[in-house]
Amino acid sequence: MSTIGGVARVEKAHLPSVAVSMRRRPPLPLSPSRILLYVVLAGYGLFSLAPFLFAFSSSFKTYAQVLSWPPSLLPNPATLDNYRFILSGAQLFPRYILNSIIYAGAVTVLNVLLASMAGYAFGRMEFPGKNFFYLLTLAVLMIPSQLILIPKFLVAYTLHLTDNYGGLIVPAMVTPTSVFLMTQFLKTLPRELEEAALIDGCSRFRAFWQIIFPLVRPAVTVVALLSFQGAWNEFLWPLIVMSHQENYTLTVGLAFFKGNYVTQYNLVLAGAMISIAPLVIIFFIFQRYFIQGLSTSGLAGR
Amino acid sequence: MQLAASKARPGGPPGTRRGLPFKINRRRLTETLTAYTFLAPYLFVLIVFTLIAVVTALTLSFFYVDFGFTTPIFYGFRNYLNIWYDLTHDGDFAVGLRNCVEYTIGVVTLQTILALFLALLLNQKVRGRGFFRTVFYLPAMTSSVAISLIFYWLYQPQGGINYVLSLLHIQGPAWLENPSTALLAIMLLNIWTTAPTFMLMYLAALQDIPSTLYEAARVDGANSWQMLWKITVPLLRPTTFAVVALGSIGAFQMFDQAFVMEGASGAPLRSTLTAAMVIYDTAFQKSLMGLACAQAFVLFIIIFAVTLLQKRYIDVNIQY
Repeated sequence: MSTIGGVARVEKAHLPSVAVSMRRRPPLPLSPSRILLYVVLAGYGLFSLAPFLFAFSSSFKTYAQVLSWPPSLLPNPATLDNYRFILSGAQLFPRYILNSIIYAGAVTVLNVLLASMAGYAFGRMEFPGKNFFYLLTLAVLMIPSQLILIPKFLVAYTLHLTDNYGGLIVPAMVTPTSVFLMTQFLKTLPRELEEAALIDGCSRFRAFWQIIFPLVRPAVTVVALLSFQGAWNEFLWPLIVMSHQENYTLTVGLAFFKGNYVTQYNLVLAGAMISIAPLVIIFFIFQRYFIQGLSTSGLAGR
Repeated sequence: MQLAASKARPGGPPGTRRGLPFKINRRRLTETLTAYTFLAPYLFVLIVFTLIAVVTALTLSFFYVDFGFTTPIFYGFRNYLNIWYDLTHDGDFAVGLRNCVEYTIGVVTLQTILALFLALLLNQKVRGRGFFRTVFYLPAMTSSVAISLIFYWLYQPQGGINYVLSLLHIQGPAWLENPSTALLAIMLLNIWTTAPTFMLMYLAALQDIPSTLYEAARVDGANSWQMLWKITVPLLRPTTFAVVALGSIGAFQMFDQAFVMEGASGAPLRSTLTAAMVIYDTAFQKSLMGLACAQAFVLFIIIFAVTLLQKRYIDVNIQY
């Protein structure tokens, strides 16, 4: 919108290679419109961060302090009691965390493995039924999960997959989204990669394992991150499929914990922080891949 | 026979077509079998948990099924008549659907505008674009339950949001206890959490618009505002369709936030009851699986119709 952006684009069009290498060099002049741009960006950044920072700081407050008016930004005194209470065995939180780690971990590993296998078939092999099943995959992405929720539960029930890890993991072990991402990526690798090996009599399995799989690192990272995020944050399915409290995942456990400690916000916030923290850490380490995967798939909205 | 074989597979490798149809077939067979071995786990999940589930959902919607797995009783259209009665008598499902429509219109409109606005800002030559993108995206990657808990606290009458409002000399409402603000509170929360995802889609699309178009427009004397409305927005229409469609599909199914913040009944006074919560209640509290499947199917038809309408009116591919 600002004129600078337009001018920069024009320069880039004229001198593509030079413009890229010089991109960071000349300091951009600070016109009023650029200052406004940075003010808006910083403002929205604060708007995105503030609830997390305020909740994080308040998770170290005492019960009396979290209720005080006006609310204070920093805890005084800061206490670890909320975390101690939550992580003490009496609250089953350690169990919820373990369940979530097993669920999200298994779903991540299985999606990487099984989706890259399926993506290999869709992206690099010719066989009857290929287009049908690939189109079906794309169509399934548009089905609202509500439609199949109940029959999915009944199928899981019939297969004895309720109230155990299997019920969480099996339906999510290879999602259409992962397969779609893997296929799109594997299509872009040059055919010649395994062609010579195949002509020399190498089997498809070996070609996949020894030649292709080591090359799919970028796609693997994206699929792994999205699978982990999806499973770690999933609420409705674990809520339905698990009935004993010790089988709850962290999200379900948190929702019920909130029901029991309604106004003890200090405890509720500490619980929320435990659920948020691992993802935030992973996200900041791998944010480039996250963004890349989301931009190409555009399916993260679910 | 040889002729038939070569006719049936016109795509077979040339040169081998003459003489040895069996060899070709065997290689093809191996390839096909290998491909399906690779696909087996995925097809298992796809068929069992999606395709069979869809067919079952449709079938069960014509039956009376309770969760004891007693023999289902054929019900004809009674579940659908039940829904019709509910819809015409202000039943839970009617209220849930109405809330969903209100919620979807509000959320999708505002989050699409916000997403485009943020993407346009980040598409400028900005120092630290990656940093801002990461920070903006933070609400979108966190669990809906954890976010709902944080906002449950922030929305309290003596909570953080009303404190900020009090600094501006505004007396904030009891957001979550007041039937006229409860759904609005969840809408605002969800716009904040989902807009960044769609911002990324817009950002990717913006980078695909050829700069020559802006160049030509500038030569013709267009200003930035005209270029936004005459070039950027029209060329983004396919992306806008995706953003609006995916946003609506998500918004229509809202469950977690209302369930965590307001409980299963959609308090206060059913003002935050959504269709998904009614389906959950019908299936797992009232144990009326058949009726719940019929409700889910009605919801699906509505979402599908909405998507088609959006496709018709938004997804216009414009070429310059």
